Amino acid sequence: MKTKTLTSWFYVIPALLILGLILIVPLVYTFWMSLQHMPIGKAPTFVGVRNFSRIFRDPIFYKSVKNTLIYAFPAVAIKAIIGLGVAVLLNQEFRGRGILRGLAILPYALQPFVVCVLFWFVYDYRGIGNALLQAVGLKPIHWLGVQYAMPSLILVNIWHGWPFFYLGFLSGLQSIPGELYESAEIDGASSWQKFFSITLPLLKEVFLIVCGLSLMWTMGDFVIPKMMTAGGPADATLTIPMATYKIAFLLGLNYPLASAYAVTILPIFVILIYFTVRSLE
Amino acid sequence: MKKNKSAKFLVAFFVIILLFWIFIPIYWVVKTAFSPEEEVWSMGLPRNPTLANFRDIFVGSSGSMAEVTGAMLSISPTIITPLINTLLVAAGAVALTMVVSSIAAYNLARFQYRGKRIVSSYILFAYVFPPFILMVPITIIMNRLGLYDSLFGLTLAHLAYTVPFAIYMLRGYFMGIPQELEEAAMVDGCSRFQSFLRITLPLAAPGLVAVAIFSLVLSWGDAVFATVLINTQDKYTLPIHIGFFLWGGEIVDPGRLAATALVAGLIPAFLYIGIQRFVRMGLVAGAVKG
Repeated sequence: MKTKTLTSWFYVIPALLILGLILIVPLVYTFWMSLQHMPIGKAPTFVGVRNFSRIFRDPIFYKSVKNTLIYAFPAVAIKAIIGLGVAVLLNQEFRGRGILRGLAILPYALQPFVVCVLFWFVYDYRGIGNALLQAVGLKPIHWLGVQYAMPSLILVNIWHGWPFFYLGFLSGLQSIPGELYESAEIDGASSWQKFFSITLPLLKEVFLIVCGLSLMWTMGDFVIPKMMTAGGPADATLTIPMATYKIAFLLGLNYPLASAYAVTILPIFVILIYFTVRSLE
Repeated sequence: MKKNKSAKFLVAFFVIILLFWIFIPIYWVVKTAFSPEEEVWSMGLPRNPTLANFRDIFVGSSGSMAEVTGAMLSISPTIITPLINTLLVAAGAVALTMVVSSIAAYNLARFQYRGKRIVSSYILFAYVFPPFILMVPITIIMNRLGLYDSLFGLTLAHLAYTVPFAIYMLRGYFMGIPQELEEAAMVDGCSRFQSFLRITLPLAAPGLVAVAIFSLVLSWGDAVFATVLINTQDKYTLPIHIGFFLWGGEIVDPGRLAATALVAGLIPAFLYIGIQRFVRMGLVAGAVKG
């Protein structure tokens, strides 16, 4: 059914207006703000790229970029491995599989802030993390101390996020026709050969989408660093979202500098978004 | 499928590991929530299980923790206010989302027109966009609009999560409803919009419910905008309220914290799992950007 373009637009205009107001306007505003200087309580004045040159001279910026990469890449890689493993496991036929498939989503169904509370308990010095260490004969550690804070945060992110990969991979596995495996069996292929030459290649598309989305969201994860360590101790877990928040709201309310932070790393996200959106379409 | 013994053993082995991996952190919080004060840090199940922690978070402290957490008690109210705030914001966000998104999704599912590709790309872009980049500008804009530190402002900010996602999911549902039904209604004298309201929407009811629940879960769990937009205690939502229990990196009141986490976490988790099987869009739908 062909409808006139004008009436068609009428239906989407409310949605576009709202999304414009909470996405495009703020983004444009961020660009504008990043070129200003704004002492607290005063009107902003134009200063060109001064905020950017300040960022590029600031060692904290490089540290936050480094921390973000250290946080996101291992987290995404391990989530992908666990997600794939569990998807393959729960794609086998055995009793109780249905219940397990539901339970496996549980970590992802819990809200990020609740997951953080779970791990406050795990990482407490008296908590279950140290109890497990002692059970295998190791000394208790300060999980959120300078030395271990980053790996501890990565573990929280992994625990929460792996079912997203599991869901993607499971639906990918279910769409692989069984005949492929049957004919491979007739040709005498082993389980591993089947896995590497049928399963993995056919999961490639799903894999790229899920990894792209997860990488983007993990790099942009604000809740876990904020609630677990607030970027500390000694900036050990200061990732880009946390640094943006800290500059904008904690240290002297420097909105222009925080905006410049966001603008500086925006290209990374836009590239990731571009590729994931394209593969989703 | 043929299966030998060692394969069976392997499956059982990995299932057990999986269960431990999922349940260790959860077990601890559930156990602590039902533990009396003396037992909160012991490993096993509570010997004297109690509901006192839940009573305390709903009707106020019994006073037994007063000396330990004197400073905290004076500033930490019950869960009632943050729970109501969270529900109010979620209800508002869901209502606005459903109205706006269902119309837009219908448009994307049914109409062919120039620029449609751009519209759908833009909505997908909005969906995957990491919200932290919007923290600063949204705060400033809400300030300008006089909506800083207001639940209504927070509701509007949550539309950034819910609207793009709802449009995408609803589009799938609408596409699954046969167009002929609407055409028949239009032959009988309905306008396009009437046929949408009277035919398509009721038929998509299960989808609408699923999307509404997902939107509620997204709004309920937001800690990004709530952190930057809400300033006074009587407007705190649950994710912010729960920060009361961590004082300089130390858990001050384990029992009440665990009880709060259970109340705040279980409702959306069950809703989420219950609705998971209605998700048709597969990969992306229902992702919480984690």
